[in-house]
Amino acid sequence: MKDLAKVRNIGISAHIDSGKTTLTERILFYTQRIHAIHEVRGKDGVGAKMDSMELERERGITIASAATYCNWKGHPINIIDTPGHVDFTIEVERALRVLDGAILILCSVGGVQSQSITVNRQMTRYRVPRIAFINKCDRTGANPDRVIGQLREKLNLNAIPIQLPIGLEGDLEGVVDLVTMKAVYFDGDNGETIREEEIPAQLKAEADKRREALLDAASMFSDELMEAVLEGTPTPEMILNAIRIGTLKLEMTPVMMGSAYKNKGIQLLLDGVANFLPAPTEVDNFALDLDKDEAEIKVTNNPDDPMVALAFKLEDGRYGQLTYVRTYQGTLRKGDTIINARTGKKAKIGRLVRMHADEMEDIEESGSGDIVALFGIDCASGDTFTDGKLNYSMSSMHVPTPVISLAIKPVDNKAQVNMSKALNRFTKEDPTFKTFIDPETNETIISGMGELHLDVYVERMKREYSAEVQVGAPQVAYREAITQRADFNYTHKKQTGGSGQFGRVGGYIEPLEEGEYEFVDSIVGGVIPREFIPSCDKGFQKAVVKGALIGAPITGVRCVINDGASHAVDSSDIAFQLAAIGAFKEGYAKAKPVILEPIMKVVVEGPTEFQGSVMGSLNQRRGMIVGTTEEDDYTAIEAEVPLSEMFGYSTDLRSLTQGKAEFTMEFASYKPVPKSVAEQLIAEAQKKNKER
Amino acid sequence: MLNKELIDKNPIRHLNVCTESNVTSRMGLVISRAGLGKTAILVQIALDSLLNGKQVIHVSAGQSLEKTRVWYDDMFKDIVAGCKLDNPYEVYDEIMHNRMIMTFKESKLSRAKLEERMNDLVYQNVIRPSCIVVDGYDFTCADQQFLADLKEMAKSMELQIWFSAVSHRDDERVSASGVPAPCHGVEGFFDTVIVLQAAAKSECIDLNIVKDTTGVSKCGKVLKLDAKTFMIKEGC
Repeated sequence: MKDLAKVRNIGISAHIDSGKTTLTERILFYTQRIHAIHEVRGKDGVGAKMDSMELERERGITIASAATYCNWKGHPINIIDTPGHVDFTIEVERALRVLDGAILILCSVGGVQSQSITVNRQMTRYRVPRIAFINKCDRTGANPDRVIGQLREKLNLNAIPIQLPIGLEGDLEGVVDLVTMKAVYFDGDNGETIREEEIPAQLKAEADKRREALLDAASMFSDELMEAVLEGTPTPEMILNAIRIGTLKLEMTPVMMGSAYKNKGIQLLLDGVANFLPAPTEVDNFALDLDKDEAEIKVTNNPDDPMVALAFKLEDGRYGQLTYVRTYQGTLRKGDTIINARTGKKAKIGRLVRMHADEMEDIEESGSGDIVALFGIDCASGDTFTDGKLNYSMSSMHVPTPVISLAIKPVDNKAQVNMSKALNRFTKEDPTFKTFIDPETNETIISGMGELHLDVYVERMKREYSAEVQVGAPQVAYREAITQRADFNYTHKKQTGGSGQFGRVGGYIEPLEEGEYEFVDSIVGGVIPREFIPSCDKGFQKAVVKGALIGAPITGVRCVINDGASHAVDSSDIAFQLAAIGAFKEGYAKAKPVILEPIMKVVVEGPTEFQGSVMGSLNQRRGMIVGTTEEDDYTAIEAEVPLSEMFGYSTDLRSLTQGKAEFTMEFASYKPVPKSVAEQLIAEAQKKNKER
Repeated sequence: MLNKELIDKNPIRHLNVCTESNVTSRMGLVISRAGLGKTAILVQIALDSLLNGKQVIHVSAGQSLEKTRVWYDDMFKDIVAGCKLDNPYEVYDEIMHNRMIMTFKESKLSRAKLEERMNDLVYQNVIRPSCIVVDGYDFTCADQQFLADLKEMAKSMELQIWFSAVSHRDDERVSASGVPAPCHGVEGFFDTVIVLQAAAKSECIDLNIVKDTTGVSKCGKVLKLDAKTFMIKEGC
């Protein structure tokens, strides 16, 4: 069994194209997991190790986060490589949920970009201690100081550099370690030989100044260091220890720098992972005790305690379903029987493996705090496993609702079969990807978090499952909502021979500020018998599935019943369900319903010279420009734009800015559509209905 | 006009360029020591203009977009708290279409830059402001030409432009009309100057209008700032 105090479960997160995969490749090389370095868009055609999906290698972006394992100076390190594009945020969120620490990579030229802000927010939500690594210091325009300033201003991090670059851009030679006060160079073809020298004379004064700032910041977390600083005798161990305390408290973010591509600074970053990021025992993780009304219980991390593990990622590989799990306490052993806390189903662990991108090594057991994969276990992402001695569930993960959908149609019978297989796998793997058959059109609909998100799945269907599909135009997930309270009093009466149906439901519907639907029973005196109250609830729930305006689901509504009547013989479950549906329809018509559309927070970043035209393009798309942030010759424009207007924006933006600007978007909120758009949508819905 | 009650109840109307008055442009300055509510006053002036159906640009030097946005969210909540409004979110959503926040590094502020940005906005039909508030401009190295340029721009574009400035305890210089350093030498560029001072034995902050050549703020009311909410009050 490994020494838990030495284990590090880390994630690597950043803005797209900041060099995450390149960095991971270097880490694997230096920890001797791989014996040659392949570039992301390398000429050798092999692609980086972590980009195991064909599509990822081709596009140069990581889509599904692969897990891998390595060992650095006696520290077993589990690394989850996470995607950078905001459309795949669920992958980042799931990774952060099971990680204890993270490396936040920033480009020394691009600095803190929109996705870094999202990732940082996610890290804060899951209380993940982090190290910042300023990558690409060899690039023209590299400015680590600017990035450090942005970490403080934009991310509100107490970012403290613990290194100083020796040269920048093409002259990058190495870094000055401000803890040991040595210049560190990386020799050899792949930077594998570390050479320590005295600090170059021209950097000495700057290094002294920065070390002083580092000591000031670090001594806030250690009285021992503070005293030693006053006496002039701080040791590297004391400084490292103080930085570690600050980092684990999330009150300090040590900043390291280098260039993964040029093989500079990576070994020191690995030292940083070992020195500053927490061991599983140092992180408080909580489970919900299902036997005690979901009371929060701190997991013990003790390998001898009853086992609790969380399945955080599924993959359908060549040998069946592969389930990535993190163990929070107890030990997982090959041959053990485990129980899925959600379904109560038992399963036997046939094979237990440690993952290394798409290769694996069989292991016999895995201790608490470890990240491993199981074979042949049927479960969904987010399920908790126990050994049956406890009834715990790890807290649920935040899963955003899909905002975009499109219809897909297989081109032939073979494609139909393969498409079903593919969809079955994708929906299990990714909770933000949903699929269903539209009962009216009989079309298969897929929905997700953005155009690129769905694009990737359509591509994967084609490549991995040979499922050729025709893709319809993307559809926005509209909603309907009421804007005012309205009363109803509806009687459902049916007498057509045989037993009749009777039920009267009175009450009101009103807007609900938080939540989708709420049912309130204010019936007194038994005017509706108790056994039919759930029938009313069921009826309302059926009614909110489809609004009267365009047939979109109704959101944010409270249904209150306070009056009614029943008949000793003719009242039944179905009669009250139908009465509730009728009552809802009656109230809905009077409650001034509106159509809501998803509004996206869009951030466009690019050279300032294009500011005007970019704002114009957002404005044309019914966007509301929130503001601009101008720094040097670079501007970030933030806007709120309806999703329905964002289709094809990447092409437009490219042509507007000569490809120099990029944008990210994420769901912000649902807002009412303007009257003219509402009229158009209603007319379209009516036309469709007539056609049917 | 979106909501008459919101506008009429807001004491900031005494400072703002009223629709009834003939004044179409103004250079205004709010000066005080740190933490007395300069940003709050600028945001209230901006919100009043927005509620009057006008468009506003908020220029922030050194403060992030998010922080500036939060100021508006909070101040609007405080303003509507005193009025019975059925649809505060709708009103807010509507007026926010007329506000834009620009954040700059201080050194980036120049008339050329501001004018270029504004022309972009007007040309692209994004916004045509009648009020600009500039928060965080460093007056210790104020460029007289920049202020003169802006005054002229305010006149030519019929704008009111409001600045905030920080005064320091250790600099006791003050102009004849009572404008403290570092703005004592540039008061000539401003039509209205408000000095904020913590009032003795009071929960309020005094809002002293030490200079006003536009005449619109001669309301005869004593204006104060609630030290907790930073909302302007009449009397205290």
